[in-house]
Amino acid sequence: MKSQIGVYICHCGLNIANTVDVEQVREFARILPNVAIARNYTYMCSDPGQALITNDIRDLGLTHVVVASCSPRMHEPTFRATIHKAGLNPYVLEMANIREQCSWVHSDRTLATLKAMDLIASAVAKVALLVPLQEREVKVTQSALVIGGGIAGMTATLDIANAGFQVCLVEKQTHLGGRVAQLDTTFPTQERVADLLAPVLRAITTHPNIRVITNADVEKVDGFIGNFRATIRARPTFVDAMKCDACGKCVDACPVNVPDAFDANLTTRRAIYRAPDARFVIDARACSFVQDRVCRSDPRCAAVCDRNAIDFSQTENLVEINIGAIIVATGAATFDATKKPELGFGTYSNVITSLQFERLAARQELQSVKDVVFVSCVGSRDATTGNTYCSRVCCMVNAKQARRIQEKFPDARVTVFYADVRAFGKGHEEFYDAVRKTGVRYRRGYVSEIFAAGGQTPKRDQKLIVRAEDTLIQKPIEVSADLVVLGIGMTPRAETNEIANVLGLPRSGDGFLLEIHPKLRPVETAVDGVFLAGACQGPKDIVDTIAQARAAASSAFASLCRGQVKIESATARVDEEVCAGCGLCVATCPYGAPALIARTGTARVNQVLCKGCGACEAACPSKAIQVMQCTPRQVLAQIAVLA
Amino acid sequence: MPNSALVIGGGIAGIQTALDIADAGFHVYLVEKEPSVGGRMAQLDKTFPTLDCSACILTPKMVDVARHPNIELITYSEVCNITNGASDFYATIKKKPRYVDTNKCTGCGSCAEACRLKGRVTDTFNAGMGKRSAIYVPFPQAVPLKYTVDPTQCVYLTRGVCGKTFLCKDACKADAIDFTQKEEIVELNVGAIVVATGFDPFDAALKPELGYGIYPNVITSLQFERLSSASGPTAGKILLNGKEPREVVFVQCVGSRDVTTGNLYCSRVCCMITAKHAHLVKDKIHDANVTIFYADMRAFGKGFEEFYDRVRAEGVNYRRGYVSEIYAAGGQTPKRDGKLVVRSEDTLIGKPIETTADLVVLSVGLVPRVETNTLAQILQLTNSSDGFLAEAHPKMLPVDTKINGVYLAGVAQGPKDIPDAVAHAKAAASAAIVRLRSRQSSVASQQ
Repeated sequence: MKSQIGVYICHCGLNIANTVDVEQVREFARILPNVAIARNYTYMCSDPGQALITNDIRDLGLTHVVVASCSPRMHEPTFRATIHKAGLNPYVLEMANIREQCSWVHSDRTLATLKAMDLIASAVAKVALLVPLQEREVKVTQSALVIGGGIAGMTATLDIANAGFQVCLVEKQTHLGGRVAQLDTTFPTQERVADLLAPVLRAITTHPNIRVITNADVEKVDGFIGNFRATIRARPTFVDAMKCDACGKCVDACPVNVPDAFDANLTTRRAIYRAPDARFVIDARACSFVQDRVCRSDPRCAAVCDRNAIDFSQTENLVEINIGAIIVATGAATFDATKKPELGFGTYSNVITSLQFERLAARQELQSVKDVVFVSCVGSRDATTGNTYCSRVCCMVNAKQARRIQEKFPDARVTVFYADVRAFGKGHEEFYDAVRKTGVRYRRGYVSEIFAAGGQTPKRDQKLIVRAEDTLIQKPIEVSADLVVLGIGMTPRAETNEIANVLGLPRSGDGFLLEIHPKLRPVETAVDGVFLAGACQGPKDIVDTIAQARAAASSAFASLCRGQVKIESATARVDEEVCAGCGLCVATCPYGAPALIARTGTARVNQVLCKGCGACEAACPSKAIQVMQCTPRQVLAQIAVLA
Repeated sequence: MPNSALVIGGGIAGIQTALDIADAGFHVYLVEKEPSVGGRMAQLDKTFPTLDCSACILTPKMVDVARHPNIELITYSEVCNITNGASDFYATIKKKPRYVDTNKCTGCGSCAEACRLKGRVTDTFNAGMGKRSAIYVPFPQAVPLKYTVDPTQCVYLTRGVCGKTFLCKDACKADAIDFTQKEEIVELNVGAIVVATGFDPFDAALKPELGYGIYPNVITSLQFERLSSASGPTAGKILLNGKEPREVVFVQCVGSRDVTTGNLYCSRVCCMITAKHAHLVKDKIHDANVTIFYADMRAFGKGFEEFYDRVRAEGVNYRRGYVSEIYAAGGQTPKRDGKLVVRSEDTLIGKPIETTADLVVLSVGLVPRVETNTLAQILQLTNSSDGFLAEAHPKMLPVDTKINGVYLAGVAQGPKDIPDAVAHAKAAASAAIVRLRSRQSSVASQQ
C-alpha cells in the first residue's frame, strides 16, 4: 500500500515563524513524494492544531505523520497520543526539529528556511519506513528503597509507608537523623531540633511497613523501573542491642580516642561509644581489636560487659531486596574550612565552623564571649574553592546563631560579614530584621584574613583580628574577636560518586546529583524509577528538603500505586543470524541491556532495560543490532534525500 | 466520589498536584477561575536560569491535564462553599457562564475577529500591554481552547443590546455562542483538597514615587514578560511606542522587604527575574545600557549564582541601593515617553546618583491573591502574618494545614520560584495520596 503522509509545520508563535518562512516550507513539503497534505499552524501542540492532524487522518486516510516543530523531547509524546487517538499506531510519527535545530540557532531567514525544508524532506523520507510498535507495560514491585536516613529520607519513607507500601530505609551511619540531628535549633522559629525530630524517629522505628537498616551501604542495584534488585551491605556494630543495658562500662575500658564526627570533631569519643540514638556501638575503623585483633586495654570492653553484649564474631551481612522505586536522599557534606587557610580554621581554636557552633549550642557549652564575628559564604560563591554556587542556608544559619549569642550574652558585640543577605524563605526576612534589632551589626564585605592579635607568638584562645573590607564605607577594616564562626557552605558528599555509579545517575556542574529538568521535574532523574530528595540534589534548608522529599514520594507513587508502568517501545533488537558475538554492545550499553547468550554465542537485548539510545547500534561492527525507528535503512533514506 | 481530590487553582502548582494525584489512580477535579489553565507561568516569556521558553515547558503539562483520564477540568469556575464532613468534604462550585457552548466551539477565533470591541478591551493576560475583543481566549495555547465572552466588557451583556445584530453570533459557523447561558452550580464530594491559588503581582501604583501609572515607560516585571514574549503584544520585540529603549533601568524589591507597603517579606523570585530580564534586553538590544538597582542579590537556587555571574559578564551594571524617585527629565512639562530620571543612592560609593532611562522596569513582589481571604474563610484556614496561607508547621509540615485533608501547594503558601513551587505541589499531592489511600484501605478493611 502506498503511504499517505501528512506534514504539519508549526509556527510556535514566532519562535519558528520569525526565522523560517513557514508558508514557503509548506509549499515545498506539499510536493514531496507520498505527501498527501501539508499544513502550517500557529501552535501545532494546541487543541485545534492537534485537531488538524486527527481530522486529516480520518478524512484523508493518512498512514504516516511528520510534525515539523520543536524537539521530540518536548512534544513527541503529545503528537504520538494525537495520532493514536485518530487510530494510527503512535510510532508512525516523525518529528522534524525546526526550532532548536533551526530557527533558534540561525538568523538568516533564507538559509534557515532552506534548512527547515531539508529537515522536513529527510523526515518525510524516513517516516514511510517506520514500523508500528506496541506500547508495553511491566509489572511493578510495590515497595521502595530509600537511601539515606536524614530528614529527607525519613520524610519520604514515612509518606510511602503511610500510603501502605513496604519501605526499606538504608542509612550509612549507625543512627538515623542525618545532618539535622546535629543541629541545635531551627530558623526562623528557633525550635529545638531534637523536639522536632523525636516524633519522626518514633514514627519511623515503630511503623509496620518500614524496615530500617543502619550502618549499611547500598552496594549494587540491578534492574529497571518497577523491578529493581538492591544488594545492601550491613556492617556489624559488634554490640548485641538485645543484651546491652547501656551501662557504659565498656566505654571506660576502651583505650582508643578518636574525634567525634557527630560533634563536628569538637570532642573525642572512644572506639566503643554511645551513638546519638543512645545505642552502644563499636566504630570498626577505630577499634584496634577489629582492625588488628589486638587491644592494649586490660580488661577489655568485652570482659567488663556483665551481659555479654559485645560480640566480635558478628560479620557483615548482605541483604537483597526487590523494590519498584528508589529514592536517593544521601544529603550533603559541609565545606572543609581548612581549604581557606587565610581564615585560620585549624590554626586558632577560637575559629569554629557554623556546624561546630550548633554542637556547642546543643551541648550547652557556649562560653561567655565579648566579641564575636560571623563570616558568610565560606566555601560558597567562591571561584577559588571551585564552589561558585550559593549554599542557600548559611545566611539564615548565621542570623540564627548571631541572635543566639546576642540573647545569651547581651553585652557581646556581634558582627556579621556578608556579601548579600539571602533571607528568602517564609518568615526569613522578618527574622533577619529582628536579628538586626537585637544589636547584631551586619557589615557588607568579604573577610580577607584572620590572625592572632599578639603577632608572631599567638596563644591559644587569644584575641583574633578579622581583616575585611566594608564595601559600604569602602574601607578596609579590622575587627577584633574572641570567637569567629565561619558560615560554611554545603558540598556534595564524598560518596556521591559511588551512589551515582551504583545507580547510573549523572551529576550537575556543581557536583550534586542531577535532576532531569531544572524547572518542572526537580526530583526525577535520568533513570526511570529513581528519584532525588533533599540536599543530594543541591543545598536546601529543612523545609525545602521536606517538601522535596514528599515530592519524591509523590513521583514514586505513580508506579507504586498503579502496580505497572509504561516502558520504551523503540528498543534495540539483535539479528542473531548476523551477530558475531563480539560483545561490543555489552561493553557499550550504559543501561546494561544487552548480554551474550552462552548457548548461541550471540547477543540479546533485555527489552525492558533498553532505552533505545542507539549506542550499541553505533558500536556493532556487523550491523547486527538495530534500534527500532533508527535502523540503517531509515537513516540512509534520510541522508539520501539531502544529497 | 469521596475517593477523589479537589485541586483549587490551575497554575503550575495545581496542574502538577492534579497530575500526581491522578497518576496515582485517584480522580481529581481541577477547578480554575480563569477560562484556561496555565496560571502565572503561562504569562512568562523565558524561565531562569536555563532560559527555557515558559510556554514550551508548560503547555505539555496543560495538555496532559486536559487529556488525563482521571482529571476533570472545571475551568472558569469558583469554589463558593465547602462543608467539612469529618472524613470527607462537600464542595459547591459555581460555573460561570462563558456564553459559548464549549461542546460546539472549535476555537477558530472568527467571533473575536468580528467582535464590535475588537482591539479595544484591555488584555489582562498581557498585563494590560495589549488589547483584545470582548469575546476571547486568554492566549493561543489556552486549555481548553474555547472562547469566553467577557461579561464586564461585552456590549450586549453590559447594555442589553449590541447594534442591530450580534456580530460574534453571525461570525460563528459552529453556532456556539449562546447568550442564554446561566450560572451553573456543581456539587462535589471529595476526600482531600489542595489549595493552589497562587499570587498576584504587587500593585506598583502603591509606590507613587516610582511613577508607575504616571509614565507609560515605567512598567512592571510582569508587563516586561509580555513585552519580551513572542506571543505578546509586540511579538517579542522590546518596543515602547515603536521605539527600542537604549537605556533600561530595573528596580528591585518593589513591594518586597518594604515596611512602607506592609510587605516585610522577600518575594524570592524577583532578583532572578530581573537578572533574566537584563539578559533578555542585552540579547535583543546589544548596545543597550542596562542598570539594576538592588538591595541584596538573592541568587540562591541551583544554577542561579552562575546565571547572575553570566549576566554581569554580559555588561549589566548592578548598583546597590534603593531608588527614591523616578521623574520625567525636562522638568514641569514631561513629554510622553520622554527620558526618565531615576534618583537613587549607590550604597557602595556612598552617594546619591541619578540615572537616565528610556524604560524602567519595576521588579514587583508577590502578594496573596485577592480571593485568598475568601477561600481561607470557606476552608477555615488561617493566614500567616504576610497574608499567605498558613502551613501547619513552618519547618516540618510545609504543605499540611490545621484542617485534616486540606493541603497547600505552591505560592498560595508563600513566594516560590517554579522548581520550588513544583516540589511543593508534588509534596501536597503526596499528602493527598497518603490520605486517599489510607481511606481506601480502611474502607476495604471494614467491608
